[in-house]
Amino acid sequence: MQPQQGFQKIALQGVRHIVAVASGKGGVGKSTVAANLALALQMNGRRVGLLDADIYGPSVPTMMGIGPVDPQTTPFPITKYGLKLMSIGFLPDAGRGVLLRGPMVAKYITMFLTQVDWGNLDVLLIDMPPGTGDAQLSIGQTVVVSGAVIVTTPQEVSVVDARKALNMFGELRVPVLGTIENMSYFVGDDGKRYEIFRHGGGNKLAQDNNVPFLGEIPIDPKVAECGDAGEPIVQRYPHNVVSKAYLQLAATLLQRLSERETPQELPAVQL
Amino acid sequence: MTAAENSLRPVSLRRDGDRLVIEWSDGFRGSISLTNLRAACPCAGCNEKRQAPPDPFRVLSDKELQAGVPMPVAMPARGSYAYQIVWNDGHDSGIYKLELLRELCESSPVQ
Repeated sequence: MQPQQGFQKIALQGVRHIVAVASGKGGVGKSTVAANLALALQMNGRRVGLLDADIYGPSVPTMMGIGPVDPQTTPFPITKYGLKLMSIGFLPDAGRGVLLRGPMVAKYITMFLTQVDWGNLDVLLIDMPPGTGDAQLSIGQTVVVSGAVIVTTPQEVSVVDARKALNMFGELRVPVLGTIENMSYFVGDDGKRYEIFRHGGGNKLAQDNNVPFLGEIPIDPKVAECGDAGEPIVQRYPHNVVSKAYLQLAATLLQRLSERETPQELPAVQL
Repeated sequence: MTAAENSLRPVSLRRDGDRLVIEWSDGFRGSISLTNLRAACPCAGCNEKRQAPPDPFRVLSDKELQAGVPMPVAMPARGSYAYQIVWNDGHDSGIYKLELLRELCESSPVQ
């Protein structure tokens, strides 16, 4: 599979909503949120796809337990746990690392959006890479995104970059559906709630930017354990407190999406 | 950017002779001459040329001479926020945000 140049017809007619999961900052758990949110949306009865747009550091293969495949014999997207999945990490040699300049990143992302047969989906989640650069611009220029959810951890150092992501979506005219506070708190064996990374950054970000606060996700060692085992916590322990938070989050997100019309493409120009 | 500005979008765009006529969602209709549109190309290369001091010895290239009046040959939408213009001289790196198109339109309202 090699990126192609030029204008391409977007093969996403069967996708009702494209939702970007972004943060601006790395390490806040975007990919974990995206993977678990995708499963939670599916458990809410929706047809869901997950596109890993992190070309330099793909996480979906590890989190979903899928190694590199032979693209000559394996059709994309790959289906697992009922989700349609695509990541550069599925391609051979991706584990060695990818040294690419921005234009090549853009071509890969465009290829994943336009050449992968996503079929009919209610929601295609895009696990965005950190930052506000080529990958984000490529997505904003290639497809009409229904909305973005901004993931942050509670502390200010994360909120600062999340705010940049929020502003970027404003520039791209992508509505922000809301913010999520990940790693929000930890519930100990004593039943007490510990706010390890402080608290309230996600809600503050939402209030400061007049967007909804979608919810908070607690931190739990099982989340990392499940992610490394290739079976996200929502799939493996659906009754865990973290999984319940994701299910609630999915319901809230679906409510937000239902309140919005399916986004319209810009009109064609008569030349 | 305010919510009202963000919701402003074109409802139709068509070329009329040497102008691009755009009708907007707030009912405003404006036009931009294709020469001005080409001159306002927001790409990095054109921005740099605009900022450079004028070169009195600049000679038009064969390609520029053959292209004649600037004419868009394609104008695909880019996501929800912009149009890319492919010009008849082959230049195609300009992504025109809707805000820029509106700004260019406002100096020439169409009745």
